Amino acid sequence: MKLNHRLLSAVCSGALLTGLLSGCGGPGTDFDGTNQTTSDTDTLRLYIWGEYTGDELIETFEEEYDCHVIVETFDSNEMMYTKISSGDRYDVLVPSDYMIERLMNEDFLQPLDREVITNFDLLDPNIVGLEYDPDNTYSIPYFWGTVGIVYNKNTVDRADLEEQGWNILTNTKYQNRLYLYDSERDSFMMAFKALGYSMNTDKDDEIEAAYEWLCNVNNTMHPVYVTDEIIDNMINGTKDIGIVYSGDAAYILSENEDMSYYCPTQGTNIWSDAMVIPKNAPNSDLANEFINYVLTYDASYDNTEEVGYTSSNAQVAADVYGEGGIYEGNEAYVPRSDYELDEVFRDNEYLRQRLSELWIKVKAGGTA
Amino acid sequence: MKQFRSMAYPYVVWIAILIIIPMLLIIAYAFTVEGTAFFQGQFTLANFARFFSDAVFLQVLLRSLRIAILTTVVCLLLGYPAAYAISRAGASSTLLILIITLPTWINMLVRTYAWVGILQDGGVLNALLGLLHLGPFQFMYTDFAVVLGMVYNFLPFMILEIHTSLSKMDPSYLEAASDLGANHVKAFLKVTLPLSVPGIISGITLVFLPAVSSFFIPKLLGGGQYVLIGNVIESQFLTSGNWSFGSALSLIMVIIIMLSMYLTRRIDKNREDAI
Repeated sequence: MKLNHRLLSAVCSGALLTGLLSGCGGPGTDFDGTNQTTSDTDTLRLYIWGEYTGDELIETFEEEYDCHVIVETFDSNEMMYTKISSGDRYDVLVPSDYMIERLMNEDFLQPLDREVITNFDLLDPNIVGLEYDPDNTYSIPYFWGTVGIVYNKNTVDRADLEEQGWNILTNTKYQNRLYLYDSERDSFMMAFKALGYSMNTDKDDEIEAAYEWLCNVNNTMHPVYVTDEIIDNMINGTKDIGIVYSGDAAYILSENEDMSYYCPTQGTNIWSDAMVIPKNAPNSDLANEFINYVLTYDASYDNTEEVGYTSSNAQVAADVYGEGGIYEGNEAYVPRSDYELDEVFRDNEYLRQRLSELWIKVKAGGTA
Repeated sequence: MKQFRSMAYPYVVWIAILIIIPMLLIIAYAFTVEGTAFFQGQFTLANFARFFSDAVFLQVLLRSLRIAILTTVVCLLLGYPAAYAISRAGASSTLLILIITLPTWINMLVRTYAWVGILQDGGVLNALLGLLHLGPFQFMYTDFAVVLGMVYNFLPFMILEIHTSLSKMDPSYLEAASDLGANHVKAFLKVTLPLSVPGIISGITLVFLPAVSSFFIPKLLGGGQYVLIGNVIESQFLTSGNWSFGSALSLIMVIIIMLSMYLTRRIDKNREDAI
C-alpha cells in the first residue's frame, strides 16, 4: 500500500509540475486578487506571452473600463494553439504571425470591430497589412522585430559577421561560444537564409540542405540551445554569440555595453505578435476595447518600456529610439524595414511537420 | 470484511477517471493517424513504425535508459549508507528523516532552477572554486549536471524506502548473528542486506521511473540539445502538435517501464524463494 501511495503522490506531483511548466505561474493569474465570480460582461480573459505587458497596463485598463482582467501566459505559440484547439475560451490572444495565419485558416478567429478600434491609424505602417492578413481584418500588431545575432564586440570580429552573416555559425574560430535559440522555425530560418533560400520553401532538397547545414553547426560548433535563458546569459557575457529576437537584444544591449546586434545581409525573419479575438470569445466587445486601449500612446509606451520589444505604435517607437528616449541609439530596437531578403513566416503545414521532425534529429545527433 | 467493500467504489471511480481513461486515450491516439482530432482518425501502425525505423529515436531511448540507470546507481550508492546511518542513529533519526525530506517541501522545478544558478559559468560553484584558484569549469549542459539534478531530486525516495525496510528490522536478528560468531561485516551481508532488499527494490523503482521519463531536468540543466525520450514526447505534444506519435512514444515507454518493473519483481521473488 505504501508503495502505491508514494507512487500516486509522485505521479500527482509530476502532473502538478507539468501544469506549472505549461502554465508558467498557473492558470488565471489574478491581478487584483478579487474572486472570479464577476459576470462575463466585465471580465476580460487575456492569453499572452509571459512577461509581455507593461507594469501598469492591466491595472489601468481595469480602472478605466471598470472591469476585471484575467491574464494567462504561454511560452510557445504551439502551446497556445493546443489550448485553443481543445476549446479553451479567451477574449484576446497575442500569438505570432504564422500562428495567426493558421488560426485564421482553421476558422478560429472573428473579425475585429474597426468602429471601436479607432487608434488603428497610430500603427507603424511597416507592420500594417502584412501578407497573411492584408486588411488587418483579424489582427492588430502588438510588438514586432527581427531575429539577429547578438555578439560581444571585444571578442567577435565585426568583419567576420559582415562577410559571413549566418555562416559565422559554422566558423570554428567561434566553436563552443554559441547560444542558439531552441526553436525549429528560427533555426531553420538561419539555415535557409545562409543557403540563400526562402524560409517559406517547401522544396525537399532545400529543406534537406538546411538540415545538413544545421547538423554541421551542431556537430562541429557544439552550440548550447536555450530559450529565454539566453537573455541573462548574454547579459552576463557567458558566451560570445547568441541568436536573439531583436526585442530581447535591445534589452541585452541596454544592460551590457560590450554587446552589439547584427542582422545578416542574407536576410532574416521579420516577425510580429498581434492581438486577435477568438470566435468563441465570451466578451468580444470588451476585447475590442482592450485592443484599442493597447494602441494608445501611454499603454504602448508602458509596454515597450517594460519589455524592450519594438512598439507597434509608430510615435512611441520613434520617441523611445530617438534623442533622450530610453532606447536611444540602441541598434536592436528599430527593426530593419523594407529589406528585400527579409521575410515574414507563413503557415505551411508540410514545412511545419518536416521541420519538427528534423529538429529533434539535429539536436539528438549532437549528443549521440 | 464484505461490508467494507463498497468503500472502495470512490477509489475505483478515481482510478478509472485518472488512470484508465487517459491510458485508453493514449492507446487510441497511438494507433490512429497523425493530428489532434483522433475521432476522425483511422487505424495505423505508422507511429510505431516511425519509431523503429529511425535510428535517432532508439539512440535517444538508449541515452535516456543510460542516464536513468546511472542516476539509480548513484542514488543507491549514496542512499544506502545514508539510510543505514539514519536507521542506527536512534533518537535523532526522526530529525534526520525530516532533514532528508525537507527539500521536497519546495517545488521540484524551483529547486532545479536553483542548480542552474549554482552550476552556471559565473555561478556559485565556479565562484567558490575561483577562490581556490581553480576553474572556471563548464558544469552546465553536461551529463554531470543532468545526473546531478536527477540524483538530487530523486535521492530522498531511495533513502526513505531503504530506511523504512531497515528500521522495520528486528535488532534481535543482529544480536543472534553476533552470538553465533558473525562479525559486523558478515552480519551485515548475511542479515541486514538481504532483509533490506525489498526497500532497495522499491527505491530503485521510485528513482528509475521518474528518471527515465523526466523532461524538465535535462531541459534546464542539459540545455535544449540534451534530448531524452521525455523531451521528445513533450515536444510532440507541445510544439509539433503530433499527439499520435507522442502517444505511441508514451506507450513504448509504458511497456519498457512495465517490463523493468516485472523484472525487478522477479528478482525479488526468486530471492525470496531462495531463502
